[in-house]
Amino acid sequence: MMALFRRFETAIDNGIGRRRLSYLLIALIIAFFLWFPNDTSQSNYAKTVFISGFFYAIMSSSWALLAGIAGQFSFGHMAFMGIGAYVAGLIARDGITFALLGINITPESISAIGSIIIGTIAAGAVGLVIGWLLLRLRAAYLALFTIAFSELFRIMMLTEYDYTGGSNGLSLRPLLQIADVNVARQVEYYLMFALLIVCLLGLYWVANSPIGLFLRAMREDEDAASALGVNVVRYKILVFVFTSMIVGCAGAIFYSDVGSERIIPEQLEILQMSLIIAYAVIGGMESLIGAAAGAFISRYLLEAMRQVVITLPFGMTTADGSDAFVWDTGFWRFALFGVVMVFTLRYMRNGLLYPIITWFSGRDIAMKETVAIRESDDEHAARLETDDE
Amino acid sequence: MKRKSLFIHCLVLIALIAVLPLSMVQADGHCEFAEDTVKIGGLVPLSAPGAVAGGIAMSWAINRAADDINADCGITIDGANHAIEIVIGDSEGSPERGQAVVERFILEDEVDAVTGVYHSAVGLATMSMLDENGVPTVFSEPWNDNVSANGIMEYDGRPPRNADGVDHVFRVSPASSMVGGVVVNWLIDLGVGNVVIIAENTDYGQPAAADEYARFEAAGATVTQINVELGTEDFVPILSRIQASAETPDVVRVLVTGETSFNLTQQMAELGIAPTEDTICVTNQVAFQSEQYWQNVPDGNYCAFNRVGIIPSLFSDTAVELNDAYFEEFEDIVPSYAMASYDAVFILADAIERAGSTSDGAAISAAIETTDLDLSQGRYYFEYGNHNPELPEGTPAFMWHQWPDPVVTMMQYFEQGQSSLDAAVIYPAVYQTHGTDYITPGSSP
Repeated sequence: MMALFRRFETAIDNGIGRRRLSYLLIALIIAFFLWFPNDTSQSNYAKTVFISGFFYAIMSSSWALLAGIAGQFSFGHMAFMGIGAYVAGLIARDGITFALLGINITPESISAIGSIIIGTIAAGAVGLVIGWLLLRLRAAYLALFTIAFSELFRIMMLTEYDYTGGSNGLSLRPLLQIADVNVARQVEYYLMFALLIVCLLGLYWVANSPIGLFLRAMREDEDAASALGVNVVRYKILVFVFTSMIVGCAGAIFYSDVGSERIIPEQLEILQMSLIIAYAVIGGMESLIGAAAGAFISRYLLEAMRQVVITLPFGMTTADGSDAFVWDTGFWRFALFGVVMVFTLRYMRNGLLYPIITWFSGRDIAMKETVAIRESDDEHAARLETDDE
Repeated sequence: MKRKSLFIHCLVLIALIAVLPLSMVQADGHCEFAEDTVKIGGLVPLSAPGAVAGGIAMSWAINRAADDINADCGITIDGANHAIEIVIGDSEGSPERGQAVVERFILEDEVDAVTGVYHSAVGLATMSMLDENGVPTVFSEPWNDNVSANGIMEYDGRPPRNADGVDHVFRVSPASSMVGGVVVNWLIDLGVGNVVIIAENTDYGQPAAADEYARFEAAGATVTQINVELGTEDFVPILSRIQASAETPDVVRVLVTGETSFNLTQQMAELGIAPTEDTICVTNQVAFQSEQYWQNVPDGNYCAFNRVGIIPSLFSDTAVELNDAYFEEFEDIVPSYAMASYDAVFILADAIERAGSTSDGAAISAAIETTDLDLSQGRYYFEYGNHNPELPEGTPAFMWHQWPDPVVTMMQYFEQGQSSLDAAVIYPAVYQTHGTDYITPGSSP
């Protein structure tokens, strides 16, 4: 089997080449997603699942830039998404007055797109403040701070029910007003897919630019990076603002009746944030495409596993005459998801998709220095175990 | 020896796998069912962040109703019996997931009707989709006023999606406004003038407090509101403020849930604030769980509390049977949302049978409007709908497609350690069990 794979590998290397094959594969995947809504055998439900998958792919890949590449292990990502969505919803409903600037925005004068832009800017502005406050915090303190911020925001949305609707949620102004539900879903699908592509391109641009290099340097050793001339303050704030604006925009669009018609504070719970982290970990924290793919595939599987149908063999039937058992998995699918997560963390810390992406790209998706650190950690742990024995 | 034992184990396992499904094959004794079933979707929260315990109870009740109907030969259309098939969908308590599940119900499972829904946000998010697709729906738990009614035409200031209003969505749980009114009306009838409300700082406590505050004020009472954090264990500083006030309150109303409400009520009783001859204690409805209540609030005799859902002393035979089955499964008294979910399936089945069709959503919804059924929670009917579209002035919009008689009562313990099944129902008068609207501490009814 291994020999066969080696032969396949040699054939690819001597022929089209891995890099070109990966481009071809990406083109095929994009073509598939572009074609998918036109497949008449697919219902709108399947498109809804994909729309949700695109949204979580944006969330996960942007978190991968923040945590996986910049090393800022933040739990505030869902809160920034919520800021974008809530601000867009509240502005569209109540308007806003900037007395100092003499600007008065009334609900009538603002469009859904306008409210989304303001929501995005608001998320970025809060990201700026949080990024600045986090300058001196690292590791566990940074995580704790962002948890506190996230919870603070959620509780505010929950208790200020007069404005936010509390747990009944806030309904955002619909972005699209298309009467035909089939056309509407198709447009929503392409909109969310386009947003994912744009976000991934933006994230890739940052990750592969000199800024990305500085971010990685900060992640490995902030003091050393600073000593070598990296403006840590600037890039730390920049990455917070950038990722906050991405998720703020995604949240404002998704909840403007593209993926859901209302946002609720429960959506901002730590549990939801941990799902985003889990998607990124499973896909590969240090690979933007890995995190996005991890999120999309996980969302799809979690949806597909809502109901497991087991067809009975030998023409047997159940008491109600059905030839299949239907198992409503409920929360068991999350338990299974937890098992996958444990497996990933123990045996494939670079993500389940790491070997595939590495093979195609011909290089480690996790930067060599990180792998080296992990390997030295492992060696150190092994030495300790031996000493104990 | 080991190998032999392993071999035998394997054989037994294979035999079990083969026999298990076979054992489930059984011919129905007296019912001949047509091939096509009537599919009813049950939208309930079965995973976080939803209320999982509530979802499990509702799911159980929906399936139980289908089993009971099927045991009685299902739904008869044109002389043929159709079995009910339940498709449960997990809303996760999230509007986004709820919408996705409803879409799956409609497009993939092709359900004929829908019931369930625990969280109002899910109800609000899914109702337009259900209505637009003409799916007859009976919600069994969301309380938000806008869930029923042609409120969809006005909620959150959004333009109507369906200019004709809501034709297909009904509700058999109470609207929030129906619940809040009962406590205040009872206390105002008793003549209270000085009210202290202790409310938790959540989206349950604060809106409820605001609603009751406004109602008390409108009735001329003086109200003091104190907000507390959920999870607080020591309420002495807060309660001391009440003790130190110049005027003894006529009533202390506790709008705090769970364990925290127990702590608060016990400390209130220990300090001699309420219940006393001068001050009425109105604690949270969680006091209905009498075993937990007495464990945590041993001094809480004579406290009153509200109960949503029919009271055990008024259980019909159907309710008793349902309660017994529920108790067997969960070792608890059947909650109102499980009863409502059970009844909702019967309402849908009855309407489908009267409409004579599984696919004609308009005919089924029209049949639901003219429902007249006695079920576990009482007599079901819908006063306002397309059959009676004019809501008289002063009638709130949520009465559209709303069951008008969900039972909301005030109950009161009058013996220490008393079961809630024996507690007195004191309000409204029509449900009174001991002929009194309040039992003064120290007396017996």
